Amino acid sequence: MLKFERWLEVYGPSYLDGLGWTAVVALVAAVAAIAWGTALLAVRLQGGRWGGRAVDAYVQLLRNIPVLVPIYIIYFGFPLIGLVWPAVVCGGLALVLQNGAYISEIFRGAYQAIDHVQFDSAKSIGLSHWHTFRKVTMPQVIVYSLPALGNQVVLLLKDTSLLSAITVAELTMHAKLLTEQTGAAYEAFVVVAVLYLALVGVFEVAFGLAGRAVRWP
Amino acid sequence: MTSWPMFVSTVTLLARGALVSLWLAAASTAAGTVLAVLLMAPAFSRIGLGRSAYRVFVWVVRGTPVLVQALLIFYALPALDLQTGPYIAGVIVLTLYLGALIAEVIRGGVLAIPRPQWDSARSLGLPPIALLRRVVAPLVIRYSLPAYVNVCVMAVKASSVLSIISVWELTFAAREIIERTLAVFSVLGLAAGFYFVMCFGIDRLGRRVEARLALRGFAGGRA
Repeated sequence: MLKFERWLEVYGPSYLDGLGWTAVVALVAAVAAIAWGTALLAVRLQGGRWGGRAVDAYVQLLRNIPVLVPIYIIYFGFPLIGLVWPAVVCGGLALVLQNGAYISEIFRGAYQAIDHVQFDSAKSIGLSHWHTFRKVTMPQVIVYSLPALGNQVVLLLKDTSLLSAITVAELTMHAKLLTEQTGAAYEAFVVVAVLYLALVGVFEVAFGLAGRAVRWP
Repeated sequence: MTSWPMFVSTVTLLARGALVSLWLAAASTAAGTVLAVLLMAPAFSRIGLGRSAYRVFVWVVRGTPVLVQALLIFYALPALDLQTGPYIAGVIVLTLYLGALIAEVIRGGVLAIPRPQWDSARSLGLPPIALLRRVVAPLVIRYSLPAYVNVCVMAVKASSVLSIISVWELTFAAREIIERTLAVFSVLGLAAGFYFVMCFGIDRLGRRVEARLALRGFAGGRA
């Protein structure tokens, strides 16, 4: 067994690198997934009957397949149609597409909690559809859905570990590499598990604080 | 996929993979349910240490990716001199993961039981076993069913992660075929179709059971 200082000196930078990638990918993908979920909600609300049906079909499809499938479809398939993207972009896109579907459902639930009198009021003061969506609907949707959104972002964060299957050098990948180098699998993955717990904790605290900051009386 | 025989052999292989996925999900959901019921003892224990231990277990399992748990157990079992092979390791991984999720579902169901139910059961002087069997269990099953069905769907989806620790199931089969044929979209599209049928089917089946079990005045049933 190595002494802890020595261990930290030798393997610390590798874990830190992986942790950084995981955090950045999770953060960027979360922001993009929230944007995509918002777009899907907008289509559901304003896209007429066929827009609503298309969003329904999309959400049902993505909710009923494991993330690994879209990850592989994009990573292995896109180069065949001439789109050669870095693995992290392919994997990130898959995470955004799937989590966006879940988030649009969360948003839909929150939308239904808004009192419909507000939309009549918005119409009566002459707000356009777009303005109503931006100034009336979305601010409340975001506030109502913060707790569920926090859960979803934590799920997304954990799913970034699957990108190790397509060669992205995030936290889980680094643990795999260190395992192959040192043979100390068990230790490597315990450390990684602790780092994930810490990262999940950071996200949970952030969403908790956000929830407290925006709550209105 | 350029020819008919190739299409047939692809679909056959994927169907076999789908069966393995379903089997893995079913076995670990069953074992996870047993684990979850056993976990209710510490979860509702009068001893604080029991409750804390339960909370820590759930927190660790829900706070780390399944893949990390899978790799940890996959590598740790041989280190403990347990030669199991990927299938057993896979079922153990999913059992622990689903067990923690189901435990939270059941705990939520128990907490949803209205107070008067407890009071009336007690006032009847029901012995503990009868209380659990006649009052608690029927209500918990009905309150927890929607969330439980969700976990069952998650079980099928989570089983795909086991392909990374070399468990041969649907996702693994799809990758295997892609490596030989390069027919990425059609093969993964078919695999997605198999997953969709399984997950959607479980969801629909769950809703039917919910409707069948609905009780007047309680979860799912109109008052």
